[in-house]
Amino acid sequence: MAMTESELAAIVGTPIPGGSYTVEPYVDWLLNDVVESPRDGRVAHPLFAYVAVAVGKTVSWDGLFEICGATADDGPMFGEHETVLERPLLVGETFTVGGEFISAERKRGQRTGVFDIVGFRLSLTDVDGATVASTYNSIVFPRRGA
Amino acid sequence: MTVTNGRPAVDAGTVLPEWELPAVSAEKMKTMALVLADPNPIHFDLDSVRELGMGDRPVNQGPNNLAYVMNMLAVWSGGHEHLRGIRVRFRGNVLGGDRVVARGTVSGLRDEAECVLADCDVELVVDEKVVLAGTATVDVTHLTGSAQ
Repeated sequence: MAMTESELAAIVGTPIPGGSYTVEPYVDWLLNDVVESPRDGRVAHPLFAYVAVAVGKTVSWDGLFEICGATADDGPMFGEHETVLERPLLVGETFTVGGEFISAERKRGQRTGVFDIVGFRLSLTDVDGATVASTYNSIVFPRRGA
Repeated sequence: MTVTNGRPAVDAGTVLPEWELPAVSAEKMKTMALVLADPNPIHFDLDSVRELGMGDRPVNQGPNNLAYVMNMLAVWSGGHEHLRGIRVRFRGNVLGGDRVVARGTVSGLRDEAECVLADCDVELVVDEKVVLAGTATVDVTHLTGSAQ
């Protein structure tokens, strides 16, 4: 059964379990090879902000969907993504990952029916405690039963 | 503000050099599935792709499409270290074998904390269909030659 609107609103502020992520040099090599970017060897590809939070959060995508009252079978879709960099990420650096859900909104479309847009922000903190980057993602959940 | 100073001019309306990938590699999606710890089979298992009725080519990971736009900005600005932020909406899939082109235009310049920042409209297209679009901010202080 789909979440009620009050249950949906209660998601906001829920912390997302975090962990840590290290930009390993061999992974930097592999990622740059995948996305066809010259490897710097010092400055990591900025996509690592996304990779670090995706891998460094200690809840799976299925677990994250469950918090939102959904499963992968419901067909969740990525909506928006934002990366904000306070400084370049460096190869070999280790970051602490943490964040929370920051928005949850129910919408109704004539063609799409009822769907929820849930947003969450995750940040990367360096070993000195400084925020290096933050990412925002929104996920669109079709709510066919709502 | 247009400052040449022996370097490329940067101003509102400046069109960024396009970045092109002639054919997205299906094999590299397999590597990216591991890098992202992404178990979704639509990126590497053609049997699953077919069973889901999604054709016979794997679907590129969304972050890869984002990276292509980041690459375009890096080539233009002189390196990935100049990117300050990017916000995009995923509007369509990129499939294995697709030719993708990243492009952008400077929408404005602003001064912030002794830096010159260029706000840019960016997009990624496949056969002129926009599959990703948004905005990005790049530190272009070194291109304008002006430390504010």
